[in-house]
Amino acid sequence: MKRKVKFDYARWVFVLPALVVVGTLLVYPIFSSLYYSMTTKHLIKPAYKFIGLANYKAVLTDANFFKAFLASILWTVGSLIGQIFIGFTTALAINRVKVAKGVYRTLMIIPWAFPSIVIALSWKWILNGVSGFLPNLLVQLGICSTLPQFLSDSSMVFVTLILINIWFGAPMIMVNVLSALQTIPRDQYEAAQIDGASRFQQFHHITVPHIKVVVGLLVVLRTIWIFNNFDLIYLITGGGPAQLTQTVPIYAYNMGWGTKLLGKSSAVTILLLLFLLLISLVYFGIIAKWEKEDK
Amino acid sequence: MGKVKDKIGNGLCHVYLIILSVIALFPLVWVILSSVKSDGELTSDPTRFLPKSFTFDNFIHVIDDLKFATNIGNSLIIALATTIIAIVISCMSAYGIVRFFPRLGNIMSKALVATYLFPPILLAIPYSLVMATLGLTNTRLGLVIVYLSFSVPYAVWMLVGFFKTVPIGIEEAARVDGANKFTCFIKIVLPLVAPGIVATGIYTFINAWNEFLYALILINNTKKMTVAVALRSLSGAEILDWGDMMAASVLVVIPSIIFFFIIQNKITGGLSEGSVK
Repeated sequence: MKRKVKFDYARWVFVLPALVVVGTLLVYPIFSSLYYSMTTKHLIKPAYKFIGLANYKAVLTDANFFKAFLASILWTVGSLIGQIFIGFTTALAINRVKVAKGVYRTLMIIPWAFPSIVIALSWKWILNGVSGFLPNLLVQLGICSTLPQFLSDSSMVFVTLILINIWFGAPMIMVNVLSALQTIPRDQYEAAQIDGASRFQQFHHITVPHIKVVVGLLVVLRTIWIFNNFDLIYLITGGGPAQLTQTVPIYAYNMGWGTKLLGKSSAVTILLLLFLLLISLVYFGIIAKWEKEDK
Repeated sequence: MGKVKDKIGNGLCHVYLIILSVIALFPLVWVILSSVKSDGELTSDPTRFLPKSFTFDNFIHVIDDLKFATNIGNSLIIALATTIIAIVISCMSAYGIVRFFPRLGNIMSKALVATYLFPPILLAIPYSLVMATLGLTNTRLGLVIVYLSFSVPYAVWMLVGFFKTVPIGIEEAARVDGANKFTCFIKIVLPLVAPGIVATGIYTFINAWNEFLYALILINNTKKMTVAVALRSLSGAEILDWGDMMAASVLVVIPSIIFFFIIQNKITGGLSEGSVK
């Protein structure tokens, strides 16, 4: 049967709406931001002019930008390592136990469903420096002599934020690693046991190669998500105390909606995008290499 | 020897999982318990677990005096509208990608995943400017449009996985019988993928219901606020009433969790299936 040599418009109708959404809501804004980043655009004042790369120059010579960048790196690396560790170990544990698998999985998935505002409020209440459950418990148990101020003490606030983010993000890693683990054929382990392989050898030679690519993808997606995350820190500490937890998205927000300098704020967000692009290219290079090795 | 070692290993796994389950569950339990305690009890006895007396005062106060029901209504309308529009658009294009663009399709879905890179804070600036120009600031419509930016790419990505499972033979048989592309799509393909569409829809709904940043930037009128932004503005008050905050939190978090439980078995394999191909 030969195909008709007529232009087939119908297939384009199917993908057109999504292309329009991507074009207007994702591609256009990028170029729009790129343009505004080279202007003196203000949130309220209508007049603005083109100033070339002056905004970028101003941002890249601002000490607070580098502080925010370092805070972002710390926030991302700390959260990522914790989420991967907890997510991975719980997935392995659930995969190993024989009873209550489903119960554990269901309970542990709960944090993932939390809206960011409820994550913020619930933890702010649990850690409240006056009537919070945890500070009072620590005092009653004699572990602390005074009520610890988890969210305002500059020596604890960053660790606290990262732990909250681990609590929230580990379930997603767990669910994905667990389903990758379940795709590994059982007989491979049985064969290895007959050959006398230790549990560690089985993990190293069977488990790791099977789930490497999935975990790699997870790391990329999580890195981007955590780096871009605005809600959690903004709602819990607002970047404080004394701008200590001000990451790049919060720095950009304060510049755009606090001091109302949208042009300069756009320059910050474009730099953020470029950095993430660079990071993902490196990651995807590594994953592509793994995939080649597998074949 | 091996057996004993195995048993100890299993026991340790259970201990580890129990501890982590408690940590995972605790904030939800604490929010619910705090929401039914009286204000006096919240501050006088911070580590007491169960309430001395149950009270629904916090809920009544939140709904009657703080008009939280209006915000819940806004969030419901916005999340539902986003879900319906996003699912219609995404079903069409996911099917289009799978069936009609065998080669281009892979690039298309990769490009969609790449949009995950775009920082929401970057997009927020042009969104606020465009919505102001169009007069859509402080409207639910404006927020629904903006929400399509993250819901459509994600839904297409999820749905492509489901549509790939439909064997092409079924469609070819229908086409031979004279059905055109659209009839074939609606009458034959959609029903087969219905469970996947429902799961994707629920996930889209949860994400729209939970969204915060765009709602913060586009809405400043209390009557138009979504639950997330309304709660944020309530918690900005000088003297914070934690009982009220916890009652409102219960109303916001419970729908998310129920929906999440419904689809928990569908959202599992997303990444691993996507990467196997």
